[in-house]
Amino acid sequence: MAVMARQAASADAQALVLLLQPISAELRLASALSVASSLLWLVQAGCAAYGLAGIVTHGTNPWWPVAGFVLSGGLRALANYWSEGLLFTASTRVVVQTRADIVARETLATEGLGAGAVAALAGEKLDLLLPYITRYAPAQARVRAVPLAILAVAFWYSWAVGAVFLITGPLIPVFMALVGMAAKEASQRQMVEIGALNDLLVERLSALIDIRLLGASEAVATCFAMGADRLRAQTMAVLRVAFLSSTVLELFSAIGVAMVAVYVGFDLLGLLSFGSYGAPLSPAAGIYLLLLAPEFYQPLRDLSAAWHDKSSALAVAGELATWQAREASVLLGSGSNAARLPGPATIALRSVAVRRGERLVSYSDVLIAPGEKVALIGESGVGKTTLLRLLAGMLVPDQGCITVAGHLLTKDVADNWRARLGWMPQAPQFQSGSLLHNLTFGRTGDVTSALRLAAVEDVVAGLPHGLSTRLGETGGGLSGGQARRLTLARALFAAPDVMLADEPTADLDAATARKVVAGLMALADIGCTLIVATHDADLAARMDRVIRL
Amino acid sequence: MSALWRIFALIWRDERQALLRGALLGVLVLLAGVGLLALSGWFITAAAAAGVVGAGAVFDVFRPSAMVRFLALGRTAARYGERVLTHDATLRALSSLRVRLLRAYAAAPHDRLVRLRGAQILNRLMADVDALDGVPLRLILPVLAGLVTQIVAFGVLWALAGWRMAAWVTLGLVAGSLVPLIWATMAALKPSRRAETAAQAFRTRLIELVQTRSDLAVYGQLWPLREGALAADAKRQIDRAVLDRIDRLTGFALSVLGTFVAGGALALGMVLAQSGAVEPGYAAIGFFAALALMETIAPLRRAVAEVGRMAQAARRVQIEAPTAVMPEGTCWADVLRIEGLGFQRDGARTPVFCDLSLSIGPGETLAIAGESGAGKSTLLLLIARELTPTDGTITFGMMPLQDWPEPDLRAQVMLVPQRASLMAGSVREALRLAAPEATNADLWQALDSVALSTVIRAKGGLEAHLGPRGSGLSGGEARRLVLARALLRRPAFLLLDEPTEGLDDDTARKVLDGIRRHLPQAAILTASHRRVETDWADRVLTLPYGRTFAPPY
Repeated sequence: MAVMARQAASADAQALVLLLQPISAELRLASALSVASSLLWLVQAGCAAYGLAGIVTHGTNPWWPVAGFVLSGGLRALANYWSEGLLFTASTRVVVQTRADIVARETLATEGLGAGAVAALAGEKLDLLLPYITRYAPAQARVRAVPLAILAVAFWYSWAVGAVFLITGPLIPVFMALVGMAAKEASQRQMVEIGALNDLLVERLSALIDIRLLGASEAVATCFAMGADRLRAQTMAVLRVAFLSSTVLELFSAIGVAMVAVYVGFDLLGLLSFGSYGAPLSPAAGIYLLLLAPEFYQPLRDLSAAWHDKSSALAVAGELATWQAREASVLLGSGSNAARLPGPATIALRSVAVRRGERLVSYSDVLIAPGEKVALIGESGVGKTTLLRLLAGMLVPDQGCITVAGHLLTKDVADNWRARLGWMPQAPQFQSGSLLHNLTFGRTGDVTSALRLAAVEDVVAGLPHGLSTRLGETGGGLSGGQARRLTLARALFAAPDVMLADEPTADLDAATARKVVAGLMALADIGCTLIVATHDADLAARMDRVIRL
Repeated sequence: MSALWRIFALIWRDERQALLRGALLGVLVLLAGVGLLALSGWFITAAAAAGVVGAGAVFDVFRPSAMVRFLALGRTAARYGERVLTHDATLRALSSLRVRLLRAYAAAPHDRLVRLRGAQILNRLMADVDALDGVPLRLILPVLAGLVTQIVAFGVLWALAGWRMAAWVTLGLVAGSLVPLIWATMAALKPSRRAETAAQAFRTRLIELVQTRSDLAVYGQLWPLREGALAADAKRQIDRAVLDRIDRLTGFALSVLGTFVAGGALALGMVLAQSGAVEPGYAAIGFFAALALMETIAPLRRAVAEVGRMAQAARRVQIEAPTAVMPEGTCWADVLRIEGLGFQRDGARTPVFCDLSLSIGPGETLAIAGESGAGKSTLLLLIARELTPTDGTITFGMMPLQDWPEPDLRAQVMLVPQRASLMAGSVREALRLAAPEATNADLWQALDSVALSTVIRAKGGLEAHLGPRGSGLSGGEARRLVLARALLRRPAFLLLDEPTEGLDDDTARKVLDGIRRHLPQAAILTASHRRVETDWADRVLTLPYGRTFAPPY
């Protein structure tokens, strides 16, 4: 288990490195600027220490340390501004590019992750890379350079101060690692709780009216209150660990600074005779060391504040790598509008086989003449829907070939072939536009007769705004049967030569089923080829030919 | 901004004690931080001064060094306490806000609920409420604690290093930071609203693309959708770039301000020390205080970057005042009387109907018939108090409808709307939603009454699993399951909107007779356009459109 977990973690890390490859140059420059900005504090603190020492000794000209302090402070702010800008541009570039890749690939995929999962990956999850790039990456660079530089300066002036840093510094990562493990576990539990609560809610919230009418509002609210409280407790557990870790850091940093302050103070008073090399510290050197002390710990604190960004980024990179490695069936062609493929609409399958998961589904050779009415029947899972998808170019056969209208069905002709198809899916999906747009996609034609043939005039008349009614995700207020009949109207409007219908009468009441079948028959009467995958014996009986798969 | 205050007031009301303690600890943390750096600075400068004049042996080292240790440890402990207290209080308040929000949605007007989607409400309850934790934690409490710290620092600096130093450091920091912070807040409001709208558009379009890609590929429609999704993201990136620039400029301005004020304090300290007005240790204290006081201002950069998002979330999370709660369990009714009822939709020119009167008692069945749009469903919604009449009265028993306590009303009156929804889960869960205490025998009896028990038995009994939105059942089966669920409530008044839609005549008759057998004493009202239903009813009331009519006796 542990070995596997470690392997998974290193795979995620590799994926993240690969993802950031295109912006590595910007990352290096921005990190260098960020380090430079932190190191400028050495100069700024030097000026301040010199000025403050001047107060003590009443000796120096007061103006150049102040000018130096302000000037180097300004430079620091500028370097930061520049570095943050670079990081923002670079991080945006990576995220936008990856997002475009996801959208491009998912557009042409014909199966795979659900819509919600894709949207989450391309949306919120991808955005989790941004804080990693803009915060964690530069903090990491600072941790590598800044404490070492300060340590060197400390040892230059006083080995005692250097020793304080050397002892307190390395303890911090040890504690952080311990706390980090606890944090990971707690945040996983929190993620589970969020998922559970969302699942509980999402359907109930769509049915609030029914819940109220059933007098169940209070019961649902109570159930939700318990879930929300569990989520709060889990979140608090995560936060406690996070606060504990930053408290540990702050404690070490505070102890370190206090020890330096006390040592330097005693040394300046002449009460200590160890720690520096020969002569006691000068006032300027003492103040300088005190000013440097907090900055020694600051990069470590920044890094730990960004720790969470790193684990999220790793998780996202891992998920992206899995998504990329997934074998997905891809649409033939580009799915764009194209001219109709010429030639009579014959369809021929020759020794076609396609891999579905572990199984190889093979089909006997089939020849379908233009205008023929064909029923595909067979047990659930035998490959009826798969065959329809093969014929529409949504799946590519692993063996054999499909010929349509005398052309081999390849990516070059798939779009033109589909321009001749009508498509009635089992689970209709609509765009969130008007009903009219969903039927015509902005093309002109005879909507009225398509509606009449599909027998959906009453459905349209019953909608609040008729054809201008806006449909939602799964057809808005439409029932399953109504939505199915609208996909028939949509197919009819496209005036297809070949109609592919997947279980057009499943889950429909008898009267509705009759209407749908009548619509399909009307289409066949004007010479359209019908290919229907069905369990419905009545429907199969009305076809010219039954192919048992 | 007022929306943010409202949210804070809400959280404050719930968790005043914990927030107050947290805020106090927050001030202590900041003061200890300033004190620590200022004291260390003073200690070293003063020690150096003493060392220079050779007075090291008489310098009191123990009290300052003990103070330094005390402040360092106290600050760390106070920081932990402050964070746990304020976060716990905020999360508690937000958790109860979520529940209140859900209750408010559950009681929201019918029209509003019809328009809202489940996913939208989920966003309000989860994402929007999550965004609000910054209101107390990163905005209001830090600003208040920062102000208190600045005021205390002003007093202490005045006492130690004179009014000039106090004014320069605290007034300089406060006044100087107000300008960029306020500018950034104002400037970020619009782009952050646009960025979020674009993010939502991207999500919606991508979901749509993936859901409809097979259907749309056939019709050659993939490219417009894809371009639409990417265009939404491109738009968002433009606004994000603007927001990032505002954020970086704020950071730059605050950083320069800190340097400038600290540099000025250094110069002022030198001048004051040289003129002998202030002793060297105290002269240095202003510089160290200026450095430390940046801790009260720097975190506000993040708050400002979030303000746009928080303000939007706060505006969306509007909670209506809860309606007065009446004592429940006291009301009971047998007769429904409607007199002079009229209803007109908001913005409509003509009423749906007006001056409608009827009455119905136990055991009676009344079918309301009429053309589509005559107001059949509207009448049932009015009786179920989902809509509010524009004219006339509805009385259950002796009490007007509007006075009925919600639980009592729901116990007595059950409306089955035209598109009642089912949810994923077992058949048992679907039915138990209506009657949590019902036994298996009760459930089967209800299923029997709607002629569904054979179907459910064939699907595997009460454990049979329904998919999302009750998929797995045909339209007619889902309809009957919804009716069975309503029967389990055993209401005195059963309102059915086209109860047998999707059933063939024989089944419809069986179902209607079963309903009556199950509830012999109930008054049943149906909105009907089928012969089967009007034949079954004792009497029929036909709704003409917007005309006056007499009671149907």
